[in-house]
Amino acid sequence: MLSNGTLDKVSKRINIPKIPHAFFKWYCKTEKYEELHGDLEEFYYEKVEEAGLTKARLFYIWNVIRCFQPYAWRIPESQNSTIIMFKNYFKTSYRSMMRHPLNSFINLFGLSAAIGVCVVGYAFIKYTFKIDQFHENRNEVYLTTFFADREGVEQQNGTTPTPFGAALKDDLESITKVTRLEDRKVVVKYDALKVFHESVSYVDPEFLEMFTFPLKWGSKKPLDDLNGIVLSEKMSEKYFGKEYSIGETVKLIFGPDNSKIFTVTGVAKEFPGARSFDFDFLINFENFRTSDPEYDLNDWSRFVDATFIQVNSSSNLQFVEERMEKYRQAQNEMQSDWHITSFAFEPLVTLFENSANIRGDVAGDGFMDLYNSSLSFIIIGFFVLVLAASNYINIAIVSAVKRLKEIGLRKVIGANRSMVIVQFLAENLMMMLIALSIGLALGASVFVPWLENTMSFDMDFTLNDRLLLIFLPSILLFTGLISGLYPAFYISKFQVANIFRGSFRVGKKNYLTRIFLGFQLLLACVIISVAVIFTQNTNYQLNRSWGYEKEQALFVKVPDRSAFDQLQSALVQDPNVLSIAGSSHHLGRSSINALLDFPERQYEVRQMSVDHNYFQTMGLQLKEGRFFEAHRKSDNETVVINETLASNLEDPIGATFKIDDNSFEVIGVVKDFHSYNFYSKIKPTIFRVSEPSDYKFLTLRVNSGSEDRAYEKLQSEWASLFPEIPFDGGYQEDVWGNFSEDIRDGDRFWRALALVVVSIAGLGLYGLVTLNVSGRSKEFSIRKVLGAELVNIFSNITRQYSLVFFLALAIAAPASYYLVALIFNIFFVYYMPLNYSFFIFSSGILVFVLLAVVGTQLRRLTRSNPVDGLKVE
Amino acid sequence: MGRTYLGEFEEIVLLTVGILYEDAYAVAITKEITKQSARPVNVSAVHKSLYRLEKKGMLKSKLSDPESKRGGKRKRLFMITPYGKTALDESMDLRTKMRNQIPDLAFKWDIR
Repeated sequence: MLSNGTLDKVSKRINIPKIPHAFFKWYCKTEKYEELHGDLEEFYYEKVEEAGLTKARLFYIWNVIRCFQPYAWRIPESQNSTIIMFKNYFKTSYRSMMRHPLNSFINLFGLSAAIGVCVVGYAFIKYTFKIDQFHENRNEVYLTTFFADREGVEQQNGTTPTPFGAALKDDLESITKVTRLEDRKVVVKYDALKVFHESVSYVDPEFLEMFTFPLKWGSKKPLDDLNGIVLSEKMSEKYFGKEYSIGETVKLIFGPDNSKIFTVTGVAKEFPGARSFDFDFLINFENFRTSDPEYDLNDWSRFVDATFIQVNSSSNLQFVEERMEKYRQAQNEMQSDWHITSFAFEPLVTLFENSANIRGDVAGDGFMDLYNSSLSFIIIGFFVLVLAASNYINIAIVSAVKRLKEIGLRKVIGANRSMVIVQFLAENLMMMLIALSIGLALGASVFVPWLENTMSFDMDFTLNDRLLLIFLPSILLFTGLISGLYPAFYISKFQVANIFRGSFRVGKKNYLTRIFLGFQLLLACVIISVAVIFTQNTNYQLNRSWGYEKEQALFVKVPDRSAFDQLQSALVQDPNVLSIAGSSHHLGRSSINALLDFPERQYEVRQMSVDHNYFQTMGLQLKEGRFFEAHRKSDNETVVINETLASNLEDPIGATFKIDDNSFEVIGVVKDFHSYNFYSKIKPTIFRVSEPSDYKFLTLRVNSGSEDRAYEKLQSEWASLFPEIPFDGGYQEDVWGNFSEDIRDGDRFWRALALVVVSIAGLGLYGLVTLNVSGRSKEFSIRKVLGAELVNIFSNITRQYSLVFFLALAIAAPASYYLVALIFNIFFVYYMPLNYSFFIFSSGILVFVLLAVVGTQLRRLTRSNPVDGLKVE
Repeated sequence: MGRTYLGEFEEIVLLTVGILYEDAYAVAITKEITKQSARPVNVSAVHKSLYRLEKKGMLKSKLSDPESKRGGKRKRLFMITPYGKTALDESMDLRTKMRNQIPDLAFKWDIR
């Protein structure tokens, strides 16, 4: 220990470090500064003696940091009272929440369910606008497209003349990379057992550099090897399981006696969910020389599915665009009947958005559907939030009656109106914060997975999302304001004197409460109605005629004529088989486009080549004229057309036109039929006689009840005749694939939404009725004592809601009618004729909810002793 | 107050206050704990426990006279209150009681 004298001498030298000291002084409570800093100084001086100045200083700094804790913190005087006030607000909010658990539950449930719905909507919209945005080069990669005249309209097309890509790369230095893309159906075989029809993409090796489809396994440039094949993760799992598949070999069978062995050189990582196109298998484009030797890659009249170019900057693109004239001329020389007016380039970043305007591009036409669904989600999210907010408002206003004394007391103590407003807004904020976290959890863990599951696509939703950090607070602010403002202003208006005199009646004649209730019922009714109509429409769609007899019909795809003949002779003896037909195209599976040259104008139509048995086998119905007849050679120059085309012709039978300079005559009109699902409009269609050498499909009609046996027979015959080729066929009823599932998705969604909305509205109604009845317990007790029947009390309670109910339903009926008409027009081409039968169901549900709610209260009233009701206070 | 609750570190601080009797202030307590338990203790942790124990009513405190070794500052001296003693005893009793209930066999590892 140092004596006093020595300390004075050294103290100048061993001064306390200034900056940390100042920091300590800043944060430390004034009244604790002396004792706390005394401790630190004592340690400091000791440490100086023991370990020297530097270590002592470091130790002092360390201590200052360690002491930076709540027990030492100074509480700024200016904020002191505010903090205490808010603490008190939260405490009273918490207490009132706990005292009325039912009301709190209704509010929390409604708000969190609504926020959950908004989160799903957000995820969906995000998904819509995120599609293809994961490609790193999205601003530098362009799809080549061209404009051409189609029936008098300039139409942008997404396909490209085959030699165009190669020519561009050779001629123009500003284009750094080019890839062509062509999808072909190929049989892929691994071992003896794994043989499937697959879609294989022929691409240039640059494909993997231009698009961001990173590899999970494999070398840097897996497609430089002509024998290399790149698999998607899904395909690798399908063929090789979870095993490392690099170096495995698969056989690609392009056609009869034409196959090639490929070695797996790459496996792509799982694709992001938000993508408009991807691949199953990639092979080098040059493989066309093996798989399709007759395919002339320099033929300008042939088209590949897509050609993408990559430039260094958009100014380079302008340079490229200016040099297109040469190619346009080259193209038009080769193809004289269909002139290209100009070439254009569509950047990958906006390709999906614009793809609805581009014909036949790889990105598909899904954008408008997604966009419309996004709009619906915004509207739905908005209304559900408003619904939950009106619950909050109603309950806040009606339950204010129980907090009158609290408010009165606050005002007496000196709270002015604005402070009461702030208090109720703070209470609302607390509720909203809880609801927000529950809603977010609900949305992310229940609603989003449910939607992904139902619609079977992956929205890539994560909570790690900066935009979400803007979205959630804005939802909070919006809902907080609409739900909190009115109750806060309304409640703060109460006069203290009236409150304590006990003459204050609240919520008895509040018209706004009724308007909100009416609005809730209206919304609930509309959404139930939409759900009901969607369910009705699903049944309608499933039962709607396809225009031909899909039952009892089976089909199978055959590789060539000889396969057709073998299969036909194997099946023809079967007594259950009524007829067999051959065709090069098939209903629901394939057709080609043709251009009809009438003297006065041109028509673009679907063309199907079939034999004379096809109409009977598929059950297509003749409207006028005749079908093709066997052994009538001249039928090769005739066609059968459908009603849609016939309606455009004045005198269809006997009309003549040209296709590619060959003349044809119309001999029959077939009733309209849906070749693809009800989402697409019936197109003008013609049937031509198919050359037997072009047969690609075998169709058969069998006796009713023998479909399953015929299907088994077809498969077993196939397996013994063509063990190398996977069977591709089935019941005609299944030809639309997932259509019936797709169509059910819509009403699943609306039913789930209706459930959420009805529970929010129903709970709100329950809360309102409960508060109303409990507020009038004295009145009802007196009524009971005076001999009121249950019916009287029932009508007394329901009377005040009946008008609101009636009005809401009256508005809801036409509103839902027009809403559904609007939705159907957007999403469907063919839908059921609308009528008002849905209304019985939706109004029934709501009346049932009202009766159930009032019923529970009546039950309580009948069981209670009127004395208890009168004894209150 | 219902059940008394003492954290492990709080209990040690309480014991140390008792040991140091008339000279129980943060620096001395810190040193004593470091000495007795041979574990490094920072003075801020001791501060925190002392103030919490005082709030719980297990300690009371007063300020001493200024001392030059502290740069002329006073120090806060802590003393155990009767309630503090009860809490300490209860805690010790509970431990002893429970320790005694462990059958001897539980410690005879070689038998098994």
